[in-house]
Amino acid sequence: MKRRLVLRFPAETVNEPITYNLIKEYDVLVNILNAEITHGKEGNLLIEMSGREDNVNEALVYLESRHVEISPVVKTILFSEMQCIHCGACASVCFPGALEMEPGTRMLQFTPEKCVACELCIKACPLQLFELNFGVN
Amino acid sequence: MAIHKSYQEINEKIRKGEAVVLTAEEVSEMGKTLSPAELAGKVDVVTTATFGPMCSSGMFINTGHASPPIRMERATLNGVPVFTGIAAVDLYIGATENHPEDPAYGGAHVIEELISGRDVELEAHAKGTDCYPLKNIHTTINRENINEMIMFNPRNAYQNYPVAVNTSGKIKYTYMGSLLPRLGNANYSTSGELSPLLNDPGLRTVGIGTRIFLGGTTGYVSWYGTQYRSDAELNEFGVPVANAATLAVIGDASKMSPSFIKAAYFEKYGVTMFVGIGIPIPVLDEEMAARVMIRNEQITTKILDYGDPAHPELGRVSYDQLMKGEIELNGKKIRATSLSSLYKAREIAGLLKQQVQEGSFLLTEPVESFPKGKGLNSLELR
Repeated sequence: MKRRLVLRFPAETVNEPITYNLIKEYDVLVNILNAEITHGKEGNLLIEMSGREDNVNEALVYLESRHVEISPVVKTILFSEMQCIHCGACASVCFPGALEMEPGTRMLQFTPEKCVACELCIKACPLQLFELNFGVN
Repeated sequence: MAIHKSYQEINEKIRKGEAVVLTAEEVSEMGKTLSPAELAGKVDVVTTATFGPMCSSGMFINTGHASPPIRMERATLNGVPVFTGIAAVDLYIGATENHPEDPAYGGAHVIEELISGRDVELEAHAKGTDCYPLKNIHTTINRENINEMIMFNPRNAYQNYPVAVNTSGKIKYTYMGSLLPRLGNANYSTSGELSPLLNDPGLRTVGIGTRIFLGGTTGYVSWYGTQYRSDAELNEFGVPVANAATLAVIGDASKMSPSFIKAAYFEKYGVTMFVGIGIPIPVLDEEMAARVMIRNEQITTKILDYGDPAHPELGRVSYDQLMKGEIELNGKKIRATSLSSLYKAREIAGLLKQQVQEGSFLLTEPVESFPKGKGLNSLELR
């Protein structure tokens, strides 16, 4: 199974090798899509965790025991589609292919399921139509 | 018999609603099966268009005089400094001028707000003179309460432009968009076979006085644009392989639409403005027919490395390849994307086609042609 999650680390756990433990002790694949962690402060990690269902569930229990706040990712990037001029500046930097120019109409297509919230489109869009929704629910 | 049509003959057909008008994309498709002579017999006008970021743009406004009057020496609109070095209440809003505290807001945004009919805050200061005693003003202006809004863009509609890539190890934030490290992407910025000056590379029908579509209304070519050059290297199809001719254009911004003038901000570069331009090209004869038939695979451009400050050329590529979305360079496949909007350019070419068909847009013969063999100087630092 595969889960995309935002992990919020309380200040006291930021210095613990939690991601290392996840991989080593629970045999799950952890793909870090975005990270905002400062030593001594709270941190956020956007991850994709995949593995056997029981392992993933045990890993989640472990995270809770370390007081890591877990939230499933509902949306990653918000896009004000109505104002889009279909220039392609965002598609140019979108390596997972969530933003692509439709070859026929040359209109921008956004496939949120492919988005890894790398934030490159936020900076690339000349009309500033993207917003990060790091939060959840 | 060879076909020769004058501007007058074509306009007569337009007036009668009999002119055959196609977009440059439609005519490129048609040109696959027709000879230039056949095409010249069938088509009268070809509409071209582009919608891309064009930094060398701006707008003159005249705010009207206050009572008592002020001779503005320093002025801002929504906090963005504007040029006051002309008569008392004439101002020029440069599209790329920045708000001193907000790098993502600038002249282009002020222009878009005025075009949209919104209120804009005007602050101006002066030393005060006998004839202009007022020293400070703070008020709001909008499209309705000022005298003129004249867009005058010294350099628009570049004839071709190089593709930007980045071989360095760091992301480069440029006017060609965000360039990912180690050839992570390739950005280009023209509408290819739909682009105005690529459909008349010798500028036979586009010159001073040419009536155009500018920002949603009628505008005119006022001069050749700054950095205009007509001595650029041509490819085998007679098209310059890099940036060459440019246009200075003028139009009544109070009639423009925010759908075709769009403020933009490029990360760590600054503010610029998307400008929508459409130009109708008359198919005067076989030679012009051959020009407007040009297809993306026949238009080539240089690939430049923005990872190196000298921007060395790394290769050449056709617009056909670029528009397929992937190019190959140094054995690597690179995603290619446009910064100018082909979607919007098609919309403009379609609108212009409709206007010519309806008879509301007549063609103009250039009052004067642009210079031939004009080169470009570089700035010598001495």
